[in-house]
Amino acid sequence: MNTIRQIWIVTALNFRSLPQRLWQSLVIVVGMACVIGVLLSMLSMTEGLHSAYLNTGDPRAIFVISAGAQWEAQGSLSRDMARVIMDTPGIAKAADGSAIAEPGVEVGVPTELAKNGAMAWIVLRGMGPKGRMLLPGFHLVEGRMFRPGSHELIAGIRAKDRFTDAGVGDKVILPDGAWPIVGAYATGDLRDGELFGDTETLMLSIRHKTYNSVTLRLAQPGGLAAFRRALKSNPALNVDVMTLHDWNVKRSADFDRFCRIVVYGVGVLLAIGALFGCFNTMYSAVAARRREIATLRALGYGGFAVGVSVVLEAGALSLAGAAIGVAFAWSRYDGVIDGFGGDIFRMTVSPAMIGMALFWAVAVAILGGFLPAIRAARRPVIQALRAT
Amino acid sequence: MKFLPLVWAALTRKPARAVLTLLAVTMAFTVFGLMIGLSATIDGVAEQARGDRMFSVPRFSYDDGLPIAVARRIADTPGVKLIAFQSYIPGYVQNEKNHIYLSMGHADMARVFPDWHATPTMWDLVEHERTGIIMSRLQAERWHKKVGDTLTVISPQLKRADGATSWTFKVLAICDDVLLAPDGFIFGNYDYLDKSLPLAKQGRVNEVDYVAADPARADAIAQVIDRAFANSASPTQTITEKRAYAVSNNFGGMDVDVLTHEIALAGLAMILFLTANVIAQSVRERFAEFGTLRALGFGDPSVIAMVVLEAAIPCLAGAGLGMALAAFLAHHIQAIMPPGFGLPRPTITAAVYGGALGSAFLLAFASAALPTVRLMRMDIATALSERE
Repeated sequence: MNTIRQIWIVTALNFRSLPQRLWQSLVIVVGMACVIGVLLSMLSMTEGLHSAYLNTGDPRAIFVISAGAQWEAQGSLSRDMARVIMDTPGIAKAADGSAIAEPGVEVGVPTELAKNGAMAWIVLRGMGPKGRMLLPGFHLVEGRMFRPGSHELIAGIRAKDRFTDAGVGDKVILPDGAWPIVGAYATGDLRDGELFGDTETLMLSIRHKTYNSVTLRLAQPGGLAAFRRALKSNPALNVDVMTLHDWNVKRSADFDRFCRIVVYGVGVLLAIGALFGCFNTMYSAVAARRREIATLRALGYGGFAVGVSVVLEAGALSLAGAAIGVAFAWSRYDGVIDGFGGDIFRMTVSPAMIGMALFWAVAVAILGGFLPAIRAARRPVIQALRAT
Repeated sequence: MKFLPLVWAALTRKPARAVLTLLAVTMAFTVFGLMIGLSATIDGVAEQARGDRMFSVPRFSYDDGLPIAVARRIADTPGVKLIAFQSYIPGYVQNEKNHIYLSMGHADMARVFPDWHATPTMWDLVEHERTGIIMSRLQAERWHKKVGDTLTVISPQLKRADGATSWTFKVLAICDDVLLAPDGFIFGNYDYLDKSLPLAKQGRVNEVDYVAADPARADAIAQVIDRAFANSASPTQTITEKRAYAVSNNFGGMDVDVLTHEIALAGLAMILFLTANVIAQSVRERFAEFGTLRALGFGDPSVIAMVVLEAAIPCLAGAGLGMALAAFLAHHIQAIMPPGFGLPRPTITAAVYGGALGSAFLLAFASAALPTVRLMRMDIATALSERE
């Protein structure tokens, strides 16, 4: 009898006797459901935020900021420096021959979260003539664009749900008065929770003499190295040059690490608990079926087939539990819009996360089924048959 | 406690099962301790935050600071009694990833922050040795410093008058941490910082801290101050410590209390299923024994007590071990967190221990409930005739 067939037969037998061990077996199912439910719920949040940070900007988008700045507001580039950067060769040109580049300024405006009144800062960014070219997904969805040179703002489509007074028609208090929000835009990314106003007018209002950064688009995707060399070799500049994507990675690295430690720390602790539960259940399953197993062995079924069948049973139960956990997390959180401070993101239960959950389930089953399987396979047949 | 030997015998009948159950319960309570401990920390911070202490920061450009004259005008505001101010040195140690943050203040800080453990004597040391710093224990451990060591910080954002970006300090004192600063703190001499900066950057402060004579009027004073500076070159954003550290302000406005409790509950639910099964199984195996006990005249209360005790021992022991592990992890959690990203250290307060104890008892009662009911309904004759 070949091994595969043996495994198949013994496993089928196992599963047929599952109803007799229903409650015991549910320990594994419930255990894994809790582990995976908790893990994916937490991940839907942290990974949703993570991908929101990294989705901002297209691959040719380059970000230039003062050397060593850890966040955008730390950057300080004078008008002259910004001019030099934007005149550097290698930048894509607009139809009129001007470089697709513009200096950026960012300011946090104190406000409150709409849901609980917690203090928060809404990000207000300057947008110049090239702004729309540098924000590929940008389009107006309500009202109109702000007029350059005027005290007007446009708000991201999600801002009004997240913050108080951030919808079209509301006013934002800036140092030189109240700026009305005249339109709403959507970009499909993190910017959807922010505000935009005319860069130069905004600089005057908040009395900034320097920009924070320069954002630009390269003519060629591979042009970054040469462009960086050109800026780095200029003694008048002391800047970091990277893709917008890399900047976002750098900016969120600490936060990501923090999230991963918390999420996987809790997940691993719970999984170890479930693992012990799995051990327990499989040991008693093997003990309960010891005569049945001994009979099979006496009939000529191999120890290996018996062992594998135990692991397979653990695997099936564990996967069933994981599936419940996935279903819970997915139905409750997938696609839900949430925010972290001023950053708005969509919670996601991605296929990769589901794959990882199933992998965890299999790992717990293999680890938790292995020792009981060995015991089942190695128990002397005679002794097991005689046992009462 | 005359049943104890009987219960002990029941537990040790299947030592592997007892140990596995214990370990699974331990894991669930580790998660419980960490989660509820985190929640307790956040509640503790909110409670410890003072309603009379308040601070003003620049409303729009945080990193640019406020002119020191603003601090003087705040000091003259009726109702403000003690005042201090600080500026920050943001930077890194050795590697750009090792973020560090120094608060440069002066001796008045000790009066505004008497609950922080940097004493007036320590501030005196810093006053006399201008390059000296006071480190909290957490920071001292993170950077492996003891009194007398030097700490060199690179701050690309804060250049000295001569253009250098490196700042070297001498550790003069190490003090205890406070709940309000989950990431620890480092205090240095404001005057030293100020005089080291280029002339154009001198005379500015990042934050003005002060105490209201009457806590009830703190919010009103905040409004008066913000209104006074609203149309000036340096608008302020003023908030009381109580409001700033409110529970709702934690983790970007996420509902941390709900999250932590849900995770702790999921862990307990997972374990409840396991312990309930183990007890049910154990009782089922010993049906004949229980029949004998009843035949010998053991009444309902005795039998119930035995089953509950059998459930309670692993639950209580596991809860104890789990809480100990949680306390240990809580103590070392900061070492693996990214520097500069302060996860509040979970504090296992008496209330958290109480919660764990209560949960352990609930777990034991819930696990014992069904088996007890079965025993109550047991027909002695059937039970005695039943073989294992």
